[in-house]
Amino acid sequence: MRIVVILGRMLDPRGIVVNPRAGRIFVNREEYILQPADRCALEAALRIKEAVGAEVVALPRTFLPDDDVLRQALAIGADRAIYIAGKPVALPDDGLMARVLLAAVERLGEVDLILTGATTMDTGQGQLGPRLAEALGWPQIVGAWTAEVADGSVRAVRQDGGGYVWVEASLPAVVTFVPGALKLRYPDGRRLINIYKGVGEIAAALERWEAKDLVAPEALTPLLERRGQDFPPERERGVRLSGSPEEIARAAADALRSRLPR
Amino acid sequence: MDASFLDLLMAQQEEVTEAEGGGGIWVVADVVDGAVAPVTLEAIGAARNLAGALGAYVYAVLLGDGVSDLAATLYQAGADGVRVADHPALASFAVEPYMEVLVNLFQAEGPEVILFGATPQGQELAPRVAQRLGGGLIEHATAMTLDEATRTVQAAVPIYGGEYFEIVACPQARPQILTVEPGAFPAPFMDPYRKGEPKSVEVTPVEPRVRLLGPADNFTPPPVPLAQAPVIVAAGRQAGGFRLVEQLATALGGQVAGDRGARDAGWIRPEQIIDVRGVTVAPKVYVAVGIRGDTFHNAALENSRFILAIHPDPTAPIFRVADLCVEADPQEVLPALLQAMGA
Repeated sequence: MRIVVILGRMLDPRGIVVNPRAGRIFVNREEYILQPADRCALEAALRIKEAVGAEVVALPRTFLPDDDVLRQALAIGADRAIYIAGKPVALPDDGLMARVLLAAVERLGEVDLILTGATTMDTGQGQLGPRLAEALGWPQIVGAWTAEVADGSVRAVRQDGGGYVWVEASLPAVVTFVPGALKLRYPDGRRLINIYKGVGEIAAALERWEAKDLVAPEALTPLLERRGQDFPPERERGVRLSGSPEEIARAAADALRSRLPR
Repeated sequence: MDASFLDLLMAQQEEVTEAEGGGGIWVVADVVDGAVAPVTLEAIGAARNLAGALGAYVYAVLLGDGVSDLAATLYQAGADGVRVADHPALASFAVEPYMEVLVNLFQAEGPEVILFGATPQGQELAPRVAQRLGGGLIEHATAMTLDEATRTVQAAVPIYGGEYFEIVACPQARPQILTVEPGAFPAPFMDPYRKGEPKSVEVTPVEPRVRLLGPADNFTPPPVPLAQAPVIVAAGRQAGGFRLVEQLATALGGQVAGDRGARDAGWIRPEQIIDVRGVTVAPKVYVAVGIRGDTFHNAALENSRFILAIHPDPTAPIFRVADLCVEADPQEVLPALLQAMGA
């Protein structure tokens, strides 16, 4: 059984400051972390591997300037990682990447399961998993909390209204995970050192494919285009509520309700 | 002129007619508990604004079982045409049967723009429709403008949950598909005089490929660490008690925390202290109940998206970082607040 995990990276939000008045984003510390939802997908793949045995192959979610994401995936436990070299675009373009990854999955062959994050934490993109499922003609389970494989099908827990339900799809399938779905494991120290030093078996597990070998040049045109940035209005702090306790409570409740996450 | 004459006049003017020959802005309706979801109406309102500038018509697609009556709501919100796929096979949402209907419809009609709600249903369908039709998909649009020269929709999408917005367009690929963030667009004026005749769509039942096995009763999601909690209700020395704080946290679906005063009172565990020497948080909503707010505490929560502070002392430093300040005794305000929240 072969499981493909698609991983991306994001700029650590703790290292950036957004200044709406200046209309600028200040990057104080340029540090990239794995997309939390994609990390959960990798964790799920490793759990399936431990339960039923599988080869876990890591692929990148976007064209990256370096292969750091894939090295981390190998250190955490992936068996193979393939760096797909292409021209990085300003905006993650899942429509474009779906074409490239479709070709990569077809070249890999015998893929039973594709796992990835249900959403990216920075840009909020969740289209890669469903797009790949559509391109491959596979079923999709979107927003899984946990998944297991048995008897040629994948079962997953998904949120449904207020509760959780088990759903099942026959393999091959695409499953996407919500961020924070699983307790993550730490990278293995020795693997981490070896993969960055480029020594041992693990160094050979990192391959490099060229995007232009996978798809025709015209398929590498991005679908989306960045047209600028916008900033939310500046916060007005220290607004005091006045009136009777009931009026204050009503105003505060309205303010809370409009800002609660959906 | 009496009101009934006015009614008659308006009713005559507002009989909606459809255009011939494809194009248009299409909104795929979300049906929740037998009613049209607010996000669908907001999307129709947003589509109307675009349609004016594009010279296009707005269409809505309604899928489900026994949903034909909801077409009237869509007309009232501003749709010029409604297509209804009413079939028992569409009773509950599943990707394959819904895709079958939508793809056949869109291939026949050739829409220019398709809008979905950024709901679980919309987020599963929109990428698949985009992939099948070869269109571009912009997710979580919170504002839309039009590049009229190229008839391209430009949408603002939130980055890091709304810290800032990227303005994105889909210049070449057609159709342009967008998911619309719930609550981002104003609800449209519901015009009771707008009405039309919905057209029904042929439904070929398709077996869903994801089977529902049943409720996962023994499943509990892993706990969210305090540092990543989206809603936090924190207590301080002046809270006067912890019971109401816990009730408010439950009502808001959040976690409880506190400052060192709450720890001294024995209300919270040491790992729940919000302080630069303890946990630094950045929730969407932070409620400080009776917290005076020293430098260490305020620095640990300043990245919160919205801060409500309740404290009896008008000079409390927490009021300098809070968005909304309530100068009152928490024990008096909290019961009223809980009641206003409907808890």
